[in-house]
Amino acid sequence: MKKNSFYLVFGCIALALLAIFWYSVELHTPLLIEIAFIVGIVLVYLAKRNVSDLISDERDVKITEQATIRTMQIFWVIFCAFSIGAVMEMLHIPEFPRQASSIRPPVLLPPRMMGYIQLALLCLMIFLYVGFRIYYAKKYGDFETDEE
Amino acid sequence: MHNLTQEHLAQAIGVNRQTILAIEKEKYIPSLDLAFKISRYFGVNIEEVFIFDEKTPIMMTT
Repeated sequence: MKKNSFYLVFGCIALALLAIFWYSVELHTPLLIEIAFIVGIVLVYLAKRNVSDLISDERDVKITEQATIRTMQIFWVIFCAFSIGAVMEMLHIPEFPRQASSIRPPVLLPPRMMGYIQLALLCLMIFLYVGFRIYYAKKYGDFETDEE
Repeated sequence: MHNLTQEHLAQAIGVNRQTILAIEKEKYIPSLDLAFKISRYFGVNIEEVFIFDEKTPIMMTT
């Protein structure tokens, strides 16, 4: 299989997954999209194995490696900082000295909202990774052109 | 020097053409493995293809 055919297959799988996602929303069955997602990813990996002209060399590996390291270095700090705050909120450690009738302070963020924010942070990680990938691709000469 | 295109060299040593270009432009320092592959392709010693400099660690000779 050629590289362009692979991208075409990838696009078709992505479109199919999008359709299945909305279908499972309508049916209110999350299991459908979850299974479809796993099947879709397996199909992409199988298709990628059959690509003959998709060469990933050491420079690509280096770019991926650097982008991943930088993303994780930033992401885990932000994610953990927020999560620690979220856990504190859920545990509700009372102030000292303990009062006989401790009144719980108003909840800043309900647990569901915290989950949504964590999900949003995960989505932001993807953008962060793409940004770093572009940066390192540029650094390691991906956008260089020939003078010849 | 061998009337060779970047594409041919890249194919011969199993990398992308952009990697050869990046090495030439001193944007990417090749691994020892790749440096040996390039020098062996030309049938010369590694020092004849690459120059080690303290400021810019490895440069490809033209």
